[in-house]
Amino acid sequence: MSLFGTTSGFGAATTGVFGSTTTDSHNPMKDVEVTSPPDDSISCLAFSPPTMPGNFLIGGSWANDVRCWEVQDNGQTVPKAQQMHTGPVLDACWSDDGSKVFTASCDKTAKMWDLNSNQAMQIAQHDGPIKAIHWIKAPNYSCIMTGSWDKTLKFWDTRSPNPMMSLQMPERCYCADVVYPMAVVATAERGLIVYQLENQPSEFRRIDSPLKHQHRCVAIFKDKQNKPTGFALGSIEGRVAIHYINPPNPAKDNFTFKCHRSNGTNTTTPQDIYAVNAISFHPVHGTLATVGSDGRFSFWDKDARTKLKTSEQLDQPITACCFNHNGNIFAYASSYDWSKGHEYYNPQKKNYIFLRNAAEELKPRNKK
Amino acid sequence: MGRKKKKQMKPWCWYCNRDFDDEKILIQHQKAKHFKCHICHKKLYTGPGLAIHCMQVHKETIDSVPNAIPGRTDIELEIYGMEGIPEKDMQERRRTLEQKSQESQKKKGGNQDDSDEDDDDEAGPSTQQVAAVPPQAAPMAQPGMHPVAGAPGMPHGGYQGMPPMMPGVPPMMHGMPPAMHGMPPGMMPMGGMMPPMMPGMPGIPPGMPPHLAPRPGMPHMAPVPSAGPMPSRPAVPSAQPAVTKPLFPSAAQAQQNAPGVTASNNAASASEPPKATFPAYTQPSVSSSNSSNPASSTVAKPPATVTSKPATLTTTSATSKLIHPDEDISLEEMKSQLPRYQRLIPRPGQAHVAAPPVATVGGIMPPQQGIPPQQPGMRHPMHGQYGAPPQGMPGYMPGGMPPYGQGPPMVPPFQGGPPMGMRPPVMSPAGRY
Repeated sequence: MSLFGTTSGFGAATTGVFGSTTTDSHNPMKDVEVTSPPDDSISCLAFSPPTMPGNFLIGGSWANDVRCWEVQDNGQTVPKAQQMHTGPVLDACWSDDGSKVFTASCDKTAKMWDLNSNQAMQIAQHDGPIKAIHWIKAPNYSCIMTGSWDKTLKFWDTRSPNPMMSLQMPERCYCADVVYPMAVVATAERGLIVYQLENQPSEFRRIDSPLKHQHRCVAIFKDKQNKPTGFALGSIEGRVAIHYINPPNPAKDNFTFKCHRSNGTNTTTPQDIYAVNAISFHPVHGTLATVGSDGRFSFWDKDARTKLKTSEQLDQPITACCFNHNGNIFAYASSYDWSKGHEYYNPQKKNYIFLRNAAEELKPRNKK
Repeated sequence: MGRKKKKQMKPWCWYCNRDFDDEKILIQHQKAKHFKCHICHKKLYTGPGLAIHCMQVHKETIDSVPNAIPGRTDIELEIYGMEGIPEKDMQERRRTLEQKSQESQKKKGGNQDDSDEDDDDEAGPSTQQVAAVPPQAAPMAQPGMHPVAGAPGMPHGGYQGMPPMMPGVPPMMHGMPPAMHGMPPGMMPMGGMMPPMMPGMPGIPPGMPPHLAPRPGMPHMAPVPSAGPMPSRPAVPSAQPAVTKPLFPSAAQAQQNAPGVTASNNAASASEPPKATFPAYTQPSVSSSNSSNPASSTVAKPPATVTSKPATLTTTSATSKLIHPDEDISLEEMKSQLPRYQRLIPRPGQAHVAAPPVATVGGIMPPQQGIPPQQPGMRHPMHGQYGAPPQGMPGYMPGGMPPYGQGPPMVPPFQGGPPMGMRPPVMSPAGRY
C-alpha cells in the first residue's frame, strides 16, 4: 500500500502514462485513470472486501458489462475480467469473502459471478429491471437482496431459482444500502423504508422523506461502535439528508445540507441545482463523499457539519463512487447520467473511472 | 405591543410551532418562511398580504401559508409575530409548554437549513443550532442500532397475530369515534377502552388482556387489541383517509402546498392510504417518526417544486434551476427507455461468454461433467427456514482454476444448474446471455 498511503506518488502517474495531461477538463483533479474503462456510462463501482488481499474494483456499465480491475499499490490498474448481461448493468456488489460478484441488470436478472472460475450464473429474476443488489451476511443466513422497478424487494439464496422472501414496496426501488442488521431502500415518489435483517428480513419502519425531491442515492453510516445508526439520502435537488434511525433528539440530530449547486446565492443568475448521484462513507473516518451531476465530488464531515473539500469540475457528471476497504482509495466514475436529457448524450464521449488517494482528505474536522 | 400581551411565553410562530428568543427574530422567520412569495421571493408582512401580492403581481392564488403545519395554514388570518394568534391556540400552546417543561427544554430545533440564510454548499444548520451541534454529536452516536434492535424484536413477537389488524391501527388511534357508529365522539380510545367497546363488541373486552400482555411497552397499542376482531374491521378502512392525515403532516402538507398542481392532490389522497398502513407495522416507533415530521416539514420548499404522480416536476423557479429532465422518473429509467437499451441482446464483445450453451439449457443438466460429486454446496448453512434449499446443489465452482482471463470455455456457465431442473423455467424467458 505504499503509494496509496502517501500523497506524493500520484505525480508520477500522470506524466505521460495516461496520455495528455494538459488542462482538458476530463480529469482536472489529475487523478489516476483506470485503464480500459467501459464504453458506456458507468452505473456502479465497488471495491473488494478486506477478506481479499489487494484491491479489486468492479464497475458496471450501460454497455451491458461488468468489468473487474486489479488496483495495484503503485496506482496501476490491470483489467482482469469482465462479464456480460443482456441489458445495462445497474448495480453490483461483492460477497463478504470476496470470491463472488453479484450484478444486477436491466435485463431483469441478477447474476453471481464467481471470480475464480470466471463463470456467472443467474441467481435472481424480477419482473422489471433490478436497480439495487446487496449481499447480506447474517449469523444465521446469507443471501442476496435485490430491489427492482417492479416494486418488489426480493431475497435470494443463490442456489434456488425462487426467492426466499419477497417484500412488496410502495414504489419502484431507486436505491438501497445494506449494513447488517439494517437495510434502507429509497423508492420512487419519495418513499423511504428501513428494514431490519436480524433473523430474517422484515420491514422495520417507513420514514417520511426528509427531502422534497426524488430520491436518488442512499448510504448507511455507522456509529462509533460500528453499528449502523442512520443513513444519508441524496436527491435530485442537490441536497443530502442525514437521518438517524433513533436519535435522542430528531429535530436537532437530523439535518439536510445543500450540495452540487452552481453559483452562490448572491449572484443574479439562477442557481443550477444538480442531482446527487451517489454517496459513499469512508470506512474508517465516517466522513462521506458525494458525487453529482455537476461533475464534482465533495467530501463532508457530518458530525462537524462541515464540508471538507470540493473538487474541480469535470466535463461530465460523476455517476458513481466508492471507497476501498481501508479508505485509502476513492474511486469515482465520470460519464453521462442523462441529467440534461437525450440531447446531451454523446455516445462518442469517453467514460472514465478515476482513483484518488483518500487517506488524508477525508479526515474528520476536529470539533471545537 | 399590540392587542395581546406576550403572556410571559417565549415568542413562537403560530404557523409552524417554532420557538424564538425574540419577537424580532420571530418576525424575520415568518417573513422568510411563511410570508415569502414562492415566485419572486418577495417578503411580505402577513399572510393576507402575501395572498394579495400573488394575486395582483403574479395572477396566482394561494390558499395556504407556505411551510405551515396542517391546521395552521389559514391564509386569511392576519398574524404578525405574536399578534393575531387566536386565543384558543395560545392556550393550547401554554398547555403544551407546561407538559414539555417537564421533559426536555428545547422542543424545536429546526435543524433543516433555511434556504435563505445559509450559503450554498455548506453543511449549515440554522445559526441557532450551531453551538448545540458539537455536544450533540457525541450522544448522537451512541444509540446506534441497539434501541432499534430491541424494537424489532418486540413487534415481531407481537405481530404474528397482528397482521390482519394492521390497517386498522392508525384509525383506531385517532378515529375511533367515527368508526364506532353510535359512540359518543368525545370518547377517547386511550382512556376509556371498556365503555366504548361494550355496545359494539361484546366479546372483546375479555379478549383484551391477553392481547395487551405481550405489549407492555407500547401504550399506543392499547386500543388495537380491541380493534382486532372482525366487527371493527369493515368500519375501519372507511375511516382511513380522513384519519391518516395527522400522522403524515409533512406528506399531507407537501401535497396541499401545491396550488397549481391539482392533480397532485388527487395523487395525495390516492397515495396516502398506503402510507397510512405503515405506522401500523411500526407502532413502537411511530412517535419517533412523527417527531421527525415537524422538522422535515419546515424544510418544505416552495410548493412549485413538489413532485407528484402525474410525473412531472417543476424544474425552474426565479432563482434556481434544477438540472434534471422534467419527468419525475429516475434518470436510469429515462435512459433505459431508449431503443438501444431495450433490445436486450448480447452486445459485441460478448464473445465466448456463454452464448452457445444457452440454447441447450435443457440439455445441459445431465452432462454435468463430473461437477456434482465435488460440490459440498453449503457455503452457508441454511437452516431450512427459507424453503429448504436443495442440499448438495452445486452453486458454484470452487477455486483452484487459473484466476482470470476471458473465461476458458471449458465449463458451461450454467454449471450450477440443479439436477432437479429447476433452472430452465426461470432462465429461458430472460433470453440468452
